[in-house]
Amino acid sequence: MSEEISEEIKKLVIARLETIPKDKKISIGNYGEFSKEELIEGVKSGSEVGKKIIEVELEFLRALKQGIVT
Amino acid sequence: MSFTYLITRPEHDDTTHYLSSWGKETIKVAESQGVRVLDLHGERANKKEFESKIKKLSPKLVMFNGHGDSDLVTGHKNQELIKAGVNEGLLKAKIVYALSCKSAKVLGPASIQAGALSYTGYEDDFIFIYEPEFFTRPLLDKTAELFLEPSNIFVESLIKGNSVIESFERSRNILKKNFNRAVSTLESDPTAARFLWWNLKNFKSCGDLNVSVK
Repeated sequence: MSEEISEEIKKLVIARLETIPKDKKISIGNYGEFSKEELIEGVKSGSEVGKKIIEVELEFLRALKQGIVT
Repeated sequence: MSFTYLITRPEHDDTTHYLSSWGKETIKVAESQGVRVLDLHGERANKKEFESKIKKLSPKLVMFNGHGDSDLVTGHKNQELIKAGVNEGLLKAKIVYALSCKSAKVLGPASIQAGALSYTGYEDDFIFIYEPEFFTRPLLDKTAELFLEPSNIFVESLIKGNSVIESFERSRNILKKNFNRAVSTLESDPTAARFLWWNLKNFKSCGDLNVSVK
């Protein structure tokens, strides 16, 4: 069950990452600099930066839902 | 204004290149205010140089640019510059800002315990988006500006003599404004909002927030 949820979350995060313009890169602290394709690959493979981007996306979505984004 | 401002600007990868270029703008503001600047740029952002300058010239304001972790901030090629439990006592009687990852979590409070006046930084990873086509001209990168301008406003406000809390609120307000702009243009570029919010959430200040360089 948890694996199923995890896959759902990955799909959600990947769908959100797909919206990043191709001409931009993202600097994520000590992890380095990434294109959206690299981040998507990180989410799929379960790399450390993949886990970090999932954390950021989920926390943001929770904050939006709770109305505490600002 | 009569005080000394020390800034570290390593420049060995894309991230530090951007931070260094934007950090240079705070030097211009400091110099225009008659502030003495100690610019540890590139290879000079090393522990030996940092410790020497901070001991001999006792800057009132210190800004770190670079990578880091919860208990440390690094310089050129990620060499350790300052670390909790090692040399955070060097920050005694200083107003400190770290544009670096996570250091507000452990190094910040440890610095205050060791006598720093205030410590401002980020409790988790600092994230920003940039446009590689502007790599050689980072100040023209409007996407990076959304993230790095609020940081500069914090330092520039301190340099002009405002308190930490006044500067912190100014910086937060610009971050909020940029966040709202990003949200309102969700159709064209939804990427910036979540990362601006992340930085806003993790931007923290501790110590005496009423202190200033005056």
